Amino acid sequence: MSEQEIFDKITALLADKFEVDKATIKKETSFTKDLDADSIDLVEFVLELEEEFGAEIPDEDAEKILTVGDAVTYISNHTK
Amino acid sequence: MKIAVDAMGGDNAPQVVVEGIEKARDEWSDLEFVLYGDEEQIKKYLKDSKNITIVHTDEEILGTDEPVKAIRSKKNSSMVRAAKSVKDGETDALFSLGNTGALLAAGIFIVGRIKQVDRPALMPTLPVTNSPLGVNILDVGANAEAKATYLQQWAVMGSIYATDVKQIKEPRVALLNNGTEEDKGDTLHKEAFDLLKNTEEINFIGNVESGDLLAGVADVIVTDGFTGNAALKATEGTATILLKELKKALMDNGIFTKLGAAIVAPSLKGIKDMFDTSRAGGAVLLGLKSPVIKAHGAANVETIFYTVKQIYDMLLNDTVNKANTYFEKMNKEK
Repeated sequence: MSEQEIFDKITALLADKFEVDKATIKKETSFTKDLDADSIDLVEFVLELEEEFGAEIPDEDAEKILTVGDAVTYISNHTK
Repeated sequence: MKIAVDAMGGDNAPQVVVEGIEKARDEWSDLEFVLYGDEEQIKKYLKDSKNITIVHTDEEILGTDEPVKAIRSKKNSSMVRAAKSVKDGETDALFSLGNTGALLAAGIFIVGRIKQVDRPALMPTLPVTNSPLGVNILDVGANAEAKATYLQQWAVMGSIYATDVKQIKEPRVALLNNGTEEDKGDTLHKEAFDLLKNTEEINFIGNVESGDLLAGVADVIVTDGFTGNAALKATEGTATILLKELKKALMDNGIFTKLGAAIVAPSLKGIKDMFDTSRAGGAVLLGLKSPVIKAHGAANVETIFYTVKQIYDMLLNDTVNKANTYFEKMNKEK
């Protein structure tokens, strides 16, 4: 899966979850600063990522995913 | 209707869980139970397997485990397997006596939230002085922070619950605040007051103070999780200390006081019965796609029986979907 495909899937997921316009989500979008995500939102998002991409994301890696770009890179590096 | 039971949670598991479930099974023949836990231990106490299935699990979430980590790492624990079965639609509700934090996490992250509910709330039933139905208070600690809109959602869900499960027509909903006047409280509570006042579907009666929690002035009391947790623990703690001191005063002050104690004992038992919450069942985690209920870790057979009744009533009345339908309608009207 290309990075663009991953990005598209993640933005669709976030647009639905945070009820925001897909077009406003960029790679630099921060979950906490721009989407006002709290700790529950973040865990839910990590679980959704695992389900969507069939990946296992350990807690210590999840803590480093702060922006949309971080999520895209992580998924790209950890899925076939 | 099938209930997933975490048979290994609680102080006296699985014995008390199995005995309570068997009692409930004997009462409601249309209920089926799936017990998740150590098969050998469960079988030791199970007298009759009618309508009861056992799913063996070999991990246990301990009281000391960090909640989110536990549900993510102990995938073959009785609690996680039971929650997963609700998520996958194999069972209709989740019941546990185990680690409260882990059950909250399992409820939110495995069973899942109703999409329109921002944050689920934990809602126990407390005894009141003037009614056996008690009072429901939410949130008592599922969330450390809250927004006014959360309190509004909890008020609606609490009201639907009181109508369905406790059969109270137009339950009185109040906001826990630091005074009864309308302009009391910080920004959150003032905002919440305005929202609740304008929520047509509930019978909002205004603010209540923590001193009136058990006075029977409301059927549902809404509060943010931080305040709710502090108020609940202060109430429980005061009651425990008071009873202990009363017992000490009656027993440690000579033969005449002991004789006096024997005379007033029947009246004192009346008070004890009034505060017996076993019939109220467990605390409900409201706002999830299916009922998730936590009974006290030290719950007895009676409490487990009544908690099953509570789940049964929620399933029969489709309480979860009623809240869902309400919020969908509310969102469309926005």
